[in-house]
Amino acid sequence: MLTLNDVTAGYGNGGNVLQGVDLHCAERTVTCIVGPNGAGKSTVLKVISGLLRCRTGSISMGDVPLTSLAPDRILAHGITQVPQSQALFPGMSVRDNVMLGGYLIRRDRKLLAARYAAVLERIPIVSERASDHAGNLSGGQRRMVEIARCLMLDPKLLLLDEPSLGLDPRSLAGVATLIKSLNDGGTTVLLVEQNVRLGLGLATHGVVMEGGKVRLTGTAAEVRDHPEMASLYLGGSAPATPAPAGPASVSAGPASAPGTPASAPAGPGSAPATPATPATPGSASASPTAKGVSNA
Amino acid sequence: MAQFVQALALGVLIGGIYALMAGGLTLIFGVLRIVNIAQGAFLILVATFTWWLWRATGLDPILASVITAPLMFGAGWVLYRYVVVRIRGQAASMSVLLTFGIALVIEGVLNIVTGNRFRSATPAYFEQSFRIGDILLPKAQVYGFLAAVVVLGGLYLVLTRTWAGRAIRATSQNPSAAALVGIGATATAALAFALGSASAGVGGSILSVLYPFFPASHYDWISRLLGIVVLGGMGSLPGALAGALILGLAETLTATYGSLQWSTLVFYLVIMAVLLVRPQGLFGARLREDAA
Repeated sequence: MLTLNDVTAGYGNGGNVLQGVDLHCAERTVTCIVGPNGAGKSTVLKVISGLLRCRTGSISMGDVPLTSLAPDRILAHGITQVPQSQALFPGMSVRDNVMLGGYLIRRDRKLLAARYAAVLERIPIVSERASDHAGNLSGGQRRMVEIARCLMLDPKLLLLDEPSLGLDPRSLAGVATLIKSLNDGGTTVLLVEQNVRLGLGLATHGVVMEGGKVRLTGTAAEVRDHPEMASLYLGGSAPATPAPAGPASVSAGPASAPGTPASAPAGPGSAPATPATPATPGSASASPTAKGVSNA
Repeated sequence: MAQFVQALALGVLIGGIYALMAGGLTLIFGVLRIVNIAQGAFLILVATFTWWLWRATGLDPILASVITAPLMFGAGWVLYRYVVVRIRGQAASMSVLLTFGIALVIEGVLNIVTGNRFRSATPAYFEQSFRIGDILLPKAQVYGFLAAVVVLGGLYLVLTRTWAGRAIRATSQNPSAAALVGIGATATAALAFALGSASAGVGGSILSVLYPFFPASHYDWISRLLGIVVLGGMGSLPGALAGALILGLAETLTATYGSLQWSTLVFYLVIMAVLLVRPQGLFGARLREDAA
């Protein structure tokens, strides 16, 4: 569905934050990008939604090239984004915020009304707080309204930048349930998440980024359980003993191939039981790792 | 008591007119983050044109707004699309330089074409007043105030009831989120600049009756308008309204109980006092970098 091919991008006159990103999201999947701060995760979402132009490489959805299109053109192709924070218009009502999500279909009043009614049904907070200023909502409510706004265009692909950021456990559960139900309804989801356990728990596929590059891809379970995960994500805190089967077994085949390597889970809070080769940008070539695993 | 009520009424009338003039400036800043120093020159340009129209055709200067407002809307749109857009994304100081340059060009052209002398449109009602009990309200100020209220009301409806208005407010409140819902940054900015210029179209026509002016008067006007906008909070329309009323009342109350010469000083003292307590102005949002 969505394909990024060797994409580089950066801000202003600075260097490349993305240094040749290859990524593929298949239809009806939930793909979660994880990685340490500064890995370029949010930047990937920005180049997809058109907020940031890529310098080289290409982005496409199916046969439609999206590279360097303006944000409104990308929206028109059914890609909407919920940014990391402060995404609402605080001085406007919740209703106006959500309605603005339908800005591109504003001339079709019937469609606009139907979409708004559908959003009210799916996300009750929008009708409960319709007249309130969005700036008065709690973090969880804000996140729900941000997602509601995206749904006004009935997106094919929903981009979510750290949906768990600043949310209490109950709000988090609500957001997770909503993401799952959207995906069950046919929406493809690409999310960036610092909370690895939550993100990969929600996702069908996982992508690990580091230093502006994709270091690991596979099914969510493969990525979560991969022995290199802790060293990539936690900055090399895993034991330095070489791994016998380690990353190569994942990179060797497609995501559906057998050979999920590690036996122990490697979430953010637990180092893998299987020792892993420390993976840094410099050592990338030494472990021609998992980049070849596609989640297509 | 009658004197106090008269001063209050005059202050509100003048404040309403100031609000219209400052509203355009704060709208442009709110959406574009551009400090439009040329707004004062727009007022004088329109006042001069209105004066000429009144002399040539006898058209009422305040009614001439129906011509000057659309003309300035178009001029503002063109100016944005072909000149101001070039500094988009650059520091606000760059906008000060550019718009100051535009103001100087307007002043220079007016000096050459119309000469450097005071003018004022003086229609038949110029020296007439409405009498309500003991209170006298000059007709010119009442008509100017009514025109300002109509335009501000229209602007409010545009901003709150139309998609274009929602796009302007959305861009003003959160530009990146506005882009994410498909609001075109350039078109919205051009519209905001055009609306701000159109408000100067009406404001300039009113000014031509209420105040004598000459090409360099724009320095005086832009400093007043900036004072109002800073007092109210940069980019805030309710703030501009409040700041304008405070300036109007400060002027008339000081002129009534003190001396006209002190009225501007009193206003700037109010600004200093408010900014000491609220650096972001009366209605301004405190930015994260302000707090750092």
